Parts: sequence; C-alpha cells; structure tokens
Amino acid sequence: MSVSQPRDRIELTREIIPNAAIAREVRADEDGAVATFDGCVRNHSHGRSTLYLEYEAYESMALGKMQEIAAHLHGNFVINRVAIVHRLGRLEIGETSVFIAVSAAHRAAAFDACRYAIDTLKKTVPIWKKEFFADGAVWADGEIPPAPATAETPAAKPASN
Amino acid sequence: MTVKVLYFGRLRELCGSSEESVEVRNGSRIEDLFALCAAARPELGRFRPSLVAARNCEFAAWDTALSSGDEVGFLPPVSGG
Repeated sequence: MSVSQPRDRIELTREIIPNAAIAREVRADEDGAVATFDGCVRNHSHGRSTLYLEYEAYESMALGKMQEIAAHLHGNFVINRVAIVHRLGRLEIGETSVFIAVSAAHRAAAFDACRYAIDTLKKTVPIWKKEFFADGAVWADGEIPPAPATAETPAAKPASN
Repeated sequence: MTVKVLYFGRLRELCGSSEESVEVRNGSRIEDLFALCAAARPELGRFRPSLVAARNCEFAAWDTALSSGDEVGFLPPVSGG
C-alpha cells in the first residue's frame, strides 16, 4: 500500500492559490518535467452567464480522499512530488479553484498522473460547487462517487491504472 | 446510541443545518438513520437515489451497521474541480 509522501502538498484553502509557487515547489533537481492542471472559474455554464461560484467541502473526508489520490499516483506512476490544492468559499471568474502539479523524471508519467488526479478528484472528493447567475443559483449537477453496494462483502478497491 | 449526521450542499440548505445529533436504536444501519432523518423532512427522501453515504470519512454501503459516536454524511453528487 503506497502512501502520500511528506513532501506532497495536499490542501484545502480559502485564499487565492499560489499556482506558480506550487509548481516551483514540486520541482527538484532529479525532475525533467512538471505537469500542472489549473482548474479555473468559467464565466458561463449551460448557456448562462456565471457571476461567481461558491465551493464547500466535507473537509476532513475531502483531505483524506485527496491524500488517497496522491498515494495512488506514487504507487502507479513513476513520479516524484504531488501537489493537490483546492479552494473553498467564494471564487470570482478567472480564479483558480483547483491546482494540481506533478513532477517526474520524464513527461509521460507527469502528464498521466496529473490527468488521473483531476479526473479522480472530480469523481471521488466530497466538494460541492454552487453556481450563481444574475437570475438565481444552482448546485452543479456533479457525479455520484463509487461507493460499496453492501457492507456484507469487502469493498472492492478501484481498479489500478 | 447517538450518531452525528452531516449535510452538505443542497441537503444542507434543505435541512437548514450542516449537522445534527440523532438518537438511533442499537443495531441500526445507515439506511435506518436516513429513514429517520427523512421522516422529519419528507423532501429529503426524494434525494435518496442520488446520494452516497459516508461513515467516519469513508464511503459506506447503506446497510453498514452504525456504532455510537459515528459521523455519517449523506453526500450529494460531488462537483469539485
């Protein structure tokens, strides 16, 4: 069982995410690549103009699930360091809601791990987004996370990559 | 025994609070707890098909047995990122 590494940065924050600093921080002399994902607030959703977003989380569980993602990356990709930082509270158009950075000796592993991290975060981390429009607000549709169907049999682990 | 129930997103708004303590019978499962919560707020029940349950910060099946002091979240579809 792989674990997230002490040099990883797994965080929920209500402040502006320091994207550039995080991208620098994951990078070490043995790395040849840093892949980053910058998820940012779009000014439209389903054809409506978005004014701003609000994010909330089940914080203790969200951090646990983000750490599980980092641990999975270390166990399944040849990478060095991982940063996964998600913002909470009110976010304005153009601000970063989630920033992921993965360093590795070679680019393929960095790209693949970064992609896996954001795709998995969107499906499994308990964070919710409310979209505010000029004429109202809605909770984003979202995805139903995979959960064990019954307590009687041991929970199947998600297939590894 | 007493368990803590957490509500998030649209459920938090619907319930008017983010957490509550609920007294359940020994041997209760998560689905029994949900039924109890939904009995107090009928609108909650219609969300059941789209919810997943979490017990002590792990996704849990609806038939999971509860222990005193458990923290249970009824989680709407997630939309982080």
